[in-house]
Amino acid sequence: MKNLWKIFKQGIIYENPLLMLMIGLCSALAVTSNVSNGIGMGLAMTFVLLFSEIFISLFRKAIPSSARMPIFIIIIAAFTTMVDLVMKAYFPALSKSMGVFIPLIVVNCIIMGRVEAFASKQKVLPAIFDSLGMGLGYTWVLIGIAAFREILGNGTIAGMQVMPQSYQPILFFILPPGGFLVFGLFISLNIWLKKRMQNSAKERA
Amino acid sequence: MDMMKIFLVALLVNNVVLMRFLALCSYVGMTNDVGQSVGMGFAVTFVTVLATAATWPLYHFVLLPLNLTFLKILVFILVIASLVQLVEFYLKKNIPGLYAAMGIYLPLITTNCAILAVTFENIDNHYSFIQSIVYAIGVSLGYLLAMVLLAGVRDRMKTSPVPKFLQGTPILFIASSLLGVAFMGFSGLIK
Amino acid sequence: MKNIVKLGLILAIFAVGACASLAVVYSITKPQIEAQDQIALTASLKEVFPDGEIFEDISSSVVSSDSEIIFQNAMLVKSAEVPLGVAIKASGASYGGKATLLVGVRLNRSIAGVRVLELNDTAGLGANAKNEGYFVKKAEKVTFPGQFAGKFITDAFEVKKDVIAITASTITSKSLTRIIKSAAESAALWLENSTVTDGSEADQGAQQSSVTETTGGK
Repeated sequence: MKNLWKIFKQGIIYENPLLMLMIGLCSALAVTSNVSNGIGMGLAMTFVLLFSEIFISLFRKAIPSSARMPIFIIIIAAFTTMVDLVMKAYFPALSKSMGVFIPLIVVNCIIMGRVEAFASKQKVLPAIFDSLGMGLGYTWVLIGIAAFREILGNGTIAGMQVMPQSYQPILFFILPPGGFLVFGLFISLNIWLKKRMQNSAKERA
Repeated sequence: MDMMKIFLVALLVNNVVLMRFLALCSYVGMTNDVGQSVGMGFAVTFVTVLATAATWPLYHFVLLPLNLTFLKILVFILVIASLVQLVEFYLKKNIPGLYAAMGIYLPLITTNCAILAVTFENIDNHYSFIQSIVYAIGVSLGYLLAMVLLAGVRDRMKTSPVPKFLQGTPILFIASSLLGVAFMGFSGLIK
Repeated sequence: MKNIVKLGLILAIFAVGACASLAVVYSITKPQIEAQDQIALTASLKEVFPDGEIFEDISSSVVSSDSEIIFQNAMLVKSAEVPLGVAIKASGASYGGKATLLVGVRLNRSIAGVRVLELNDTAGLGANAKNEGYFVKKAEKVTFPGQFAGKFITDAFEVKKDVIAITASTITSKSLTRIIKSAAESAALWLENSTVTDGSEADQGAQQSSVTETTGGK
C-alpha cells in the first residue's frame, strides 16, 4: 500500500509531467488562458490517461512487443474520442472553447509516455495510482498557471470577478507570449521546490 | 488571393508554435542545434503534407459518406503513425546518415501535435483539398521558422549570463515569450 | 510469415474492439449533440429578440449578396401577435477559420442584436468577440457584438471609425463586421420587399422612415 502511495506522489512534484519531465506541453499552455478550460482539460486528460493505463495494463500480456505502438494508439484514440463525444454532448460550451485540443489528447506525450514506460509493464492497481498521480500533477499545474493568467490578465477566476473593479487587467498574460512567460516561471518555481525538498530530505537522513 | 492569405496567416500571424502552443515537445527538445532544427522542420513538413493528402480524401470520401465521422481521431492518428513508419523505413534504407542523426526524434514525429492539429483543422474549417495543402505547408514552414529561431537564440544564450534560478528550461520559455511578442507584430500583415 | 499474420490479427481485434465501443458511445451521444446545436440557436434567438415566440423559416427567400458569406438559415421572428424582425444565421471566414453569427434586424431596419455562435479565432484576441466579459467600451460594458445593437443598416460600418475593433484583432473585427453588415443588409432588403409590418405605421421603402418607430434599439 505504501508503495502505491509513493507511486501516486511521484507524479505530483518529483516527476511532475509538465514541470519536470517536460512532456504534454502543448495542451498545457493553450488551454490555460482561463481556469475553467484548465480544469476541463485536466479532467479530460486524466480520464483518458486512467482508462488507457488500465486497459493497457490489463492486456499487457496479450500485446506483442513489435506491434505495441499501433495498439497503444488505438486504445488511447478510442478513449480520447469518447471524451470528445461526451463533452460535445453534455458540455458543448467547454468543448467549443477548448476546440482542437480535446482531440489532441491522443498525442499528448504524457499518455503515450506513461503507457509505454509504466502501464505496459505493471499490474493494474499500480497503473491506476500512477495515472491518478500524473493526472493530478498535470491538473494542479494547469489550474495554477490558468489562475495566474486569468487573475492578472482578466481579473477573474472561472469567469467570476476577483480583482477589484478598478483593476486594469494586464492583457499580456492571456496572450500567447504571456503563457510562455508564466510557464517558464512555474518551471523555475518547481525546480526550486524540488531542490528544497531534496535538501531537507538530506538533512533529515 | 485567398491561398496567399491562408499561407501567410499560418506561417506568421498565427504561428503554430509561438502563437498556438503546438509542437512544443520537439520545440524544446530538438532546438539544440540549428542544423538539427532545419532537419526536423523539413521532416515535419514532409509528413504534414503527406498526412493532409492522405487524410482529407479519407475523410471526405470514406468516413463522411459512411457516417463514420466519429472514427476521425482514430483513423487520422493511425494514418500519421503509418506515414512516419514509412518515412523511417525509407530513410533507414536510402539516407542512413540522416536516419542516425535524427535518432529517437523520428518516431516522435508521430506525437507532434501540430501535424494532427492540421489534419483536424482542414476538416473543421471546411477547406478544399488545395486549401488544405496550402495550409499544411504554411503551418509546417511556420514550425520550421520557430525552430530555427529558437535554435539561434539558444546558441547565443550559451555564452550569456543567465540568472541561476532561470537556467535550463525556464529561460527558454521566457525567450520564446519574447519571440512571441515579436510575432504578434505580424498581425497587421493581413488587411 | 505466420508471425506477421498473427500480429495483424491481434491488431485487427483491438481495432475492431475500439471501433465497436466508439460506435456505441457515438449512438448514445449523437442525439444529444444535435440537440445542443438547436438549443444554442434557440437561446441566441431569444437573446436577440426577447419577445420572440414564433420562428418562421424564410431561408429560401433570403439571399446573400456577398458570395463569401453563407446564410445557413433565416427566420422571421414573431411574438404572439406581431412580427418583430428577421434573424439570419450567417457564416464567413474569419481569422482562425469559419465564424458563425446570428444577426437580428428589427422592422425599423435597425439591428436588434448580434450573437456570436461559432468562432475559432485566437484565444485572448479575436476570440474575445465571443467573450461575454470582454468589453470594447469598458465604462458602458458594451461587448463587440453588443455595439451593433441599435445600429441602422444605413449607418456606416467602417471598422475603427464607426465600429470599435477588438484590441489587436483587426482581422477578426473586420471579418465579423463584414458578416454582420451582409446579413443585416439582406435582412433589411427582405423586409422591404415583403409586406411585413407591426401593424402601426406602414413603412414604405424610403430609408429615412426608420425613425418613426419608438422601438429603437438599446
